[in-house]
Amino acid sequence: MSEPTETATPTENADATGLLDRWDALRERESFSVAAAVAFVVVFPFVFTNLPAYSGYMSLVELIYIWAIFAIGFDLLLGYTGLLSFGHAVFWGGSAYAAGIFSANAYGEPLVMILVATVTAVVLALVIGVLALRRGGIYFAILTLAFGQMFYFLALGPLAPITRGENGFTDVSVEPLLGVLDLGTGFAGVFGAVFHDVGYVLYAGFFVLAVATAVRIVRSPYGAILKAIAENESRVGFLGLNVRRYKLAAFVLSGAFAGVAGGLHTIHANYVAVGSLYWITSGDIVIITVLGGIGSVFGPVAGTAAFLYVENIVSGEIAFWLLVLGALFVTVVWLFPAGIWGIVDELRSAVRGRLTGGDT
Amino acid sequence: MSIAGTVIGFLIQTLAVSSIYVLVAIGLSITLGTLKFVNFAHAAMYLVGVYIGLAIALELQFTGDLASALGLGSVGLDAGFLAALAVVPVVAFGLGLLMERFVARPFYDRPDTDQILVTFGLLLIAQELIRAFVGGRSISFSQPEWAGGSVGLGPLGTYSSWRLSIIAITSVLVLSVYLYVEYTDVGLAVRAGTEDTEMLNLLGVRATRPFLVIFGIGSGLAGAAGVVGGPVFSVTPEVGVGVLVPAFLVVVVGGVGSIVGSVVGGLLIGAVEVGLQLSAPTWSSVGIYALAAVVLLVRPAGLMGTVEVDG
Repeated sequence: MSEPTETATPTENADATGLLDRWDALRERESFSVAAAVAFVVVFPFVFTNLPAYSGYMSLVELIYIWAIFAIGFDLLLGYTGLLSFGHAVFWGGSAYAAGIFSANAYGEPLVMILVATVTAVVLALVIGVLALRRGGIYFAILTLAFGQMFYFLALGPLAPITRGENGFTDVSVEPLLGVLDLGTGFAGVFGAVFHDVGYVLYAGFFVLAVATAVRIVRSPYGAILKAIAENESRVGFLGLNVRRYKLAAFVLSGAFAGVAGGLHTIHANYVAVGSLYWITSGDIVIITVLGGIGSVFGPVAGTAAFLYVENIVSGEIAFWLLVLGALFVTVVWLFPAGIWGIVDELRSAVRGRLTGGDT
Repeated sequence: MSIAGTVIGFLIQTLAVSSIYVLVAIGLSITLGTLKFVNFAHAAMYLVGVYIGLAIALELQFTGDLASALGLGSVGLDAGFLAALAVVPVVAFGLGLLMERFVARPFYDRPDTDQILVTFGLLLIAQELIRAFVGGRSISFSQPEWAGGSVGLGPLGTYSSWRLSIIAITSVLVLSVYLYVEYTDVGLAVRAGTEDTEMLNLLGVRATRPFLVIFGIGSGLAGAAGVVGGPVFSVTPEVGVGVLVPAFLVVVVGGVGSIVGSVVGGLLIGAVEVGLQLSAPTWSSVGIYALAAVVLLVRPAGLMGTVEVDG
């Protein structure tokens, strides 16, 4: 799976360059990304819950994984395919309701709930995608926003007997994983330190799976076509490819990620709020992904961690954090379209410039 | 009440609801048609209309955290509704000019998604500024006293004079903008720009100025919509998006770039909403989306849209 490295830096320091090239070759491998995700879920909780000040807590770590899955999927659409959806709350909230209602009325095994959630999100994405792609380009954002709001009002009004309207759905009943492993069961010894409890393995496992899937898609020929559509969709059309079909596929794919995340969120929160369908949720995922950096798999993860950390931990310290966030968002869109991950990337190439002695 | 009375009652209610959507939609529709610019920050103009309108007409209490930290109490000119209606569109027009010049113009050459994102960010900032100063709770914007009563239309029954005033105000505003676009040189350039901006530039028409003016006019109408809509809808920081979404649907249903299209779309959306409010209240906020979905399936360019916009 290794691909040629992208750089040919001047070889002034042969040793360092050789090492860096090997590092590059390693980094380019698909398994490297997956390994990085695994390393992340092992190390992140330690660091995050032991910060010198304003440290996080385990439940928030899990919440970050869940939102990160949502954000990775959203970026497949926004960053790779170039489609901006303002209605992704439908897939997040819709799948969350589906999982919750299924658990209350049928079976609350977590994996089955996630399956139900994902299927629901895929169906919703197909229907909304077909409608929203009737008019291309700039209308996509408008139409996804509109149909997203429609589902919010549906859950609030006509479907209130099922969704419990404004109160949210409280009857979620999550059963043990595979029918035997209670999500709260902790592990002993070293396993306990690394894997914490069954619930953590579930959330972190799906997070790693999401990273692996996204990396696979991005590196596949299919992903190349999606990127080509973002670059120049008429040319892709001239090649004889059905652009609308690929766009719909990307939309459904990203809906499926949101569905997995929505199902996990129901399991995690044991509750579904009607706000999960509101446009603000769609706005949040847009902000998270853009702040983190679109067009990369780890950018949205960085964005999620930053957003949820500020929202849950430091929001009390920074008055009007939403106002600050809005200003930050506009600044990023205006001046640093590559987001946090882009800044990390720039730092990396600056460091590499120093190491190789070149002044890049 | 007679059947004719019921029908007229329905029509008046529809016209009153449609009025606000049409006022917001015209600006969106024209900037979409001429500049291909999706302006989420248009909702901020509506918010400006509501809150500044309230400060001019009555009094605006500052209950937000930031305002209390700064020791702000309230601002109120108590100058009456008509004063607000006269001043606010001018303020919104000015803000619109500034926005076209300093926000929209730098983004014309950037990807569509960047335009949408930056206007969305500005809307968030406007919304959070309001929350920081005025507070997030719903406040009341009472309708002017002179419109409190009702007007008798002989055997056809009596109708709220407030609704009739909304309809009258909107008609005047929409008609004047329509005449302006239809019968002036600026309007000609704008209409030509809707048909084919590239050709307009090739013909040597400097369309920058007309586009700037029409952007301002659209913003002014959205500001006026805020003053008129303040007493009708709730007054909260989120109401901007609450009005923006139906206005987008008006553009989708009516077709982009034409004032007539916005009026037709607005009337249809209003009729569906009011009709469902009277017959099946729980479905009232859902029906308008169904209408938009049907129009998209049957006539993707909108009812009055002639040009199929990309595809």
